[in-house]
Amino acid sequence: MTMTPRLRKFVLTAHVTSSVGWLGAVVAYLALAVAAMTSQDTQMVRAAWIAMELTGWFVIVPLALASLLIGIVQSLSTPWGLFRHYWVLVKLLLTVFATIILVLHMPTVSYFAGIAAETDSANLGGLRGELLHAGGGLLVLLVTTTLSVYKPRGMTPYGWRKQHEQRTVSQP
Amino acid sequence: MADSPPYPGRPRWVKVFGIMALVLILLFGILLLADPSRHGTGRHTQSGDPGGRTPPIEHGVQQP
Repeated sequence: MTMTPRLRKFVLTAHVTSSVGWLGAVVAYLALAVAAMTSQDTQMVRAAWIAMELTGWFVIVPLALASLLIGIVQSLSTPWGLFRHYWVLVKLLLTVFATIILVLHMPTVSYFAGIAAETDSANLGGLRGELLHAGGGLLVLLVTTTLSVYKPRGMTPYGWRKQHEQRTVSQP
Repeated sequence: MADSPPYPGRPRWVKVFGIMALVLILLFGILLLADPSRHGTGRHTQSGDPGGRTPPIEHGVQQP
């Protein structure tokens, strides 16, 4: 799959925007979770849970899916490939893992947000779990961002073979 | 046609990364086994479908 330089740059911009946006949204989510955990104000805790649910479903999940899909399209349209370099492969695995955990976890967030909306009690469980999920997600996203910037060397056996095949074809 | 040069092997950072990931997964597994109520399927699927009970958009409507 090949792209024109202009289209490639557009896809790269979309990938960076969605990935960095995802990271920023997780930081905002973490701030809400910390506020809900430390606040003694019932209204604050309820508002935080509702905001966490909305942020999760309408910002974090779409950005995660966009980042994953655009990243796959982008890698397949450049010489980096999807399985040729370890840094791309590790990024893919981490992004898939984070997206699966996110989508599996969001119904739990909705559950607690529902309790927060229906009851007067600020004594909600699950906040420690929110810190764990959001903190873990943030760590994974920081690792993927670092990999994208540094692009550490290292080819997979598949990438090594493909590179040699291409050299053989271009130098008969 | 020349033979393919031997594969130089995995770089060190991949090995270190793999070991760290394995340790984290094991640690998480041990934590889950020690206290399953903290996390896991029971928490993610509490008595049926927690997400379906209260759709996201309706919370704002229910609130005064």
